[in-house]
Amino acid sequence: MGLVFDEIQIGDVMPPYTCAPITRTHLVRYAGASGDFNPLHHDETFARAVGLETVIAQGMFIMGIAGQAVTSWIDHQCLRKFSVHFLGMTQPVNLDDYGNTKDRATITVSGKVVNKYEENGEKKIRCELTARDAQGSRKLKGFFVAALP
Amino acid sequence: MADPSKLGMEFPVYSIRVEKNKIAEFVAALEQKDDTEQINPLYRDVDAAKKAGYENIPTPPTFSTSHVFWTGGGLLGTIRAVGADLSKLLHTKEEYEYFAPVCAGDVITRKMKVVDMYERGKKEQTNRYMQVTVLETDLINQRGELVIRARTTFMERG
Repeated sequence: MGLVFDEIQIGDVMPPYTCAPITRTHLVRYAGASGDFNPLHHDETFARAVGLETVIAQGMFIMGIAGQAVTSWIDHQCLRKFSVHFLGMTQPVNLDDYGNTKDRATITVSGKVVNKYEENGEKKIRCELTARDAQGSRKLKGFFVAALP
Repeated sequence: MADPSKLGMEFPVYSIRVEKNKIAEFVAALEQKDDTEQINPLYRDVDAAKKAGYENIPTPPTFSTSHVFWTGGGLLGTIRAVGADLSKLLHTKEEYEYFAPVCAGDVITRKMKVVDMYERGKKEQTNRYMQVTVLETDLINQRGELVIRARTTFMERG
């Protein structure tokens, strides 16, 4: 909080944000909270029927986690745009094989300021974002624009 | 397959009140917390929200996803309404523009329409053929102000 336009430089890094390893319970909780009841995210039988090994996280859950990363750094009243492309699926951790599966379910969001400019009387920064799992696989990329004091 | 004649289709308009408990539940899901007392106070405590400069408890940046599919059979009904097949669908892009804060107690009117539909690849190459659908959702508050514009892109495999 309290970021000021003049103190931000192009190339500045957003503090990275890492979520807890995503479990199926997290997916169910997010489904309930968001109303996204696509069975792909909680019903293994549906996931297998469409050719996947297991259920996958809601893309919007990963974007929401990216949003957490952003609003942990800037006051979200400052947000003007937030845009992502979804690049890869996220499988939750298997609780019977935690050690081997937790990395695929642990997402880190990182970002970097790529532009500073004035528009419509506001001082804005544009920051590019990436979310990756702990194996390095990209889940989403995107950017946000914030107007700073 | 998504039906190109649905381009321009407007979904029924409805209004919904933003509930503070719904915000807390949403944030608990994103913060991976077991209850709402463990979340950032900004999203559960009106005093903390006011101290941060909001009129009431604010909604996090992706919260509107929880009420854009409130009616019309939810997300799945919306997908069916454009003729798409859920089992072949990928959510490929999501974009928000923010014009004013949305807080608990606001009454938000949702206006959603199909703004783009196009093909990618060639029909003969089944594994590379995609039908793209873009939905645009305007969220308007009780004062008639456009507060958020969301664009959602789905791709359906051929």
